[in-house]
Amino acid sequence: MSSCHQTVSTSTGICGDAATVTVALVGNANVGKSTLFNQLSGARQQLGNWPGTTVEVGRAEWRPCDVHGHELPITMLDLPGAASLNAASPDEQLTRDLLLSTDDTTRPEVVVAVVDASNLARCLYLIAQLRELQQRLVVAVTMLDVAARRGISVDAGLLERHLGVPVVAVDPRHRGTTSTLAGVIASTLTDPPPAARPHDFDPIDPFAEDDERFTWVQAAMGAVRTRDTYSSLTWTDRIDRVATAPVVGPLLFLAIMWLVFQITTVVAAPLQDALGSLVAGPVSDASRAALTTIGLGGTAIEGFLVDGLVAGVGMLLTFVPLMTLMFLLLAVLETSGYLARAAVVTDRAMRAIGLPGRAFLPLIVGFGCNVPAISATRVLPDARQRVLTSLLVPFTACSARLTVFVLVGATFFGSQAGNVVFGMYVLSIALVIGVGFVLRSTLWRSMGADALVIDLPAYHLPMPRQVALMTWARVQAFLRTAGGIIVVTVAAVWMLSAIPAPGSSGSLADVPVEDSLFAATAEAIAPVFVPAGFGDWHATSALMVGFVAKEAVISSWAQTYASQEPPDPSAPGELGQQLRADFAESSGGHTTAAVCAFLTFLLAYTPCVATLAALNREVGRGWMLSSIAISMSTAWLLAVAVFQVGRLVS
Amino acid sequence: MTLNQVPVGSTARLASTAAHPSSRRLAELGLRPGADVQVMRRTAGGGRLLGLGHSRMAVDRATLRALDVERP
Repeated sequence: MSSCHQTVSTSTGICGDAATVTVALVGNANVGKSTLFNQLSGARQQLGNWPGTTVEVGRAEWRPCDVHGHELPITMLDLPGAASLNAASPDEQLTRDLLLSTDDTTRPEVVVAVVDASNLARCLYLIAQLRELQQRLVVAVTMLDVAARRGISVDAGLLERHLGVPVVAVDPRHRGTTSTLAGVIASTLTDPPPAARPHDFDPIDPFAEDDERFTWVQAAMGAVRTRDTYSSLTWTDRIDRVATAPVVGPLLFLAIMWLVFQITTVVAAPLQDALGSLVAGPVSDASRAALTTIGLGGTAIEGFLVDGLVAGVGMLLTFVPLMTLMFLLLAVLETSGYLARAAVVTDRAMRAIGLPGRAFLPLIVGFGCNVPAISATRVLPDARQRVLTSLLVPFTACSARLTVFVLVGATFFGSQAGNVVFGMYVLSIALVIGVGFVLRSTLWRSMGADALVIDLPAYHLPMPRQVALMTWARVQAFLRTAGGIIVVTVAAVWMLSAIPAPGSSGSLADVPVEDSLFAATAEAIAPVFVPAGFGDWHATSALMVGFVAKEAVISSWAQTYASQEPPDPSAPGELGQQLRADFAESSGGHTTAAVCAFLTFLLAYTPCVATLAALNREVGRGWMLSSIAISMSTAWLLAVAVFQVGRLVS
Repeated sequence: MTLNQVPVGSTARLASTAAHPSSRRLAELGLRPGADVQVMRRTAGGGRLLGLGHSRMAVDRATLRALDVERP
């Protein structure tokens, strides 16, 4: 007999063949479904988009014991929250498609429907629909403690009799839940799926089908007792008196956003810098030393490994503290119940620009860094809204762009530099609104401003274990899907700058930058920017490097002009003189117009390869490529418009 | 009368939700004819916080206008 344990195992267990049982968790939003999933799967879960969609599904292998102490191999799926099978969003549609699938390999063998004891009537509509299918179903009741505090008690036996399927009380804080639930799942597998409940209605009457379900739900509510002494004002009500109030609510929201912004910028920055210098310094030095001892010192292989691969991995690593903090904050905001309130207080302002209230959070974070901002679009419950917001985030002026704005502003506008930088932020906001408007009137014409009808769950103190699990799962998923793109791009740029251009004199990995394939590529692209007034290879190569990371734009200029990188971007020194000379030449004397066009392009085009990696992770490759197309075309068109108009005016 | 005209602090019974474009979703959330709704307070943005039995939901102004109610 195989021993029964809770870790992932390749053993088949006593249950016979190695085939695992697929169990899907379904339920309304805020019923504790993902909390239960985290409890059952622990740190062994994998988050990822369902193939062909931008809808995230959690997956975990679960090896509990059944009542006989035998191991039960289960593949758990955490399906998107759904109020019913009448799908109202792509996320709900996925849940519906999987549950109604006629394909036995896609449809889960057992469905565990999670319902909230304090809000049972609303949760039972989905159960009414699920019971119309011939499907093994287990109903897991959560939040019994919240219900008890409100004077509500649920008679599980009575409920079970009415629903016609097993009912289990679960508590994510107690480990006993796991084995009880496993036992019930195991026993449902020994019997054929229960017959669907009779669901008869008059097909002529459009309301009859739902009326029948509501009548069934009402009858099931007989299992619920409510004490009359229930006091109507709960803690949640008291907090909501402030958190959703007309003036104080938005102020509290802004304070929380300020905190999120500070943590993802001010707190994360030193950690990022420390990791960056660790990789650029000791790690690179050690790699070089190691390569020298095996006789590869000074070779192209050393260059590729250290300046290409190690640098690429280093760049990926610098994002880890930032992303960890972002995911941690998201988990806290999500599990505490505050996100629903944030959606309420921002709804009206965001609706004015055609976006849902929850899009506020990712867009604010975007002004710090676009990479965590793309991940923060997870707070939006609808896949279409997530894609739209993800396409807009790259237009928020992140802090890496700020240093380039400051350098260019100080070089060309002297004391007016501050106004120029301010203007870039105004333009950034205008781009978010404008591009959002264009996308909604083209790609998503059907996406109206949905009504705000939002359930406000009871507030919860976030459980550290739960928050840690959610954060870990997301960081892992980020590294898995974003890592490759970042490392490959950094390595590719190194290759371009290490290979001599055809006809030049340098050798591999020993070539002046102006003779490299990188410069030749910049030279070839430069004519594209002639109508924008900066068709010069120095400017183009800075933009090429900026595609990888905006932080590298200034150092790229310093390199291509063989000049010192100014320690303070607001005092550009020698580099400033070279820039002024080149912009004057490429623009035919209309320097100011060309510089404004350059800044506009820099603001609007693809922010960095890490943002692309995050887009690939959140909305998939197709939308990532669309984002590049949208950002590039917007940036080019605006830059050309700015230069051409500026030339006429000056 | 419609739900936006119900004073804060009082209760009304929903008469019809048919004027709302997503009345089916409202029904799933418990907002269906016959339900007793307590208008608990104003929210930022001009909506209301509603009490529906033990659950709480925030609803915007346009939705409130689309919900016909009867006052006892």
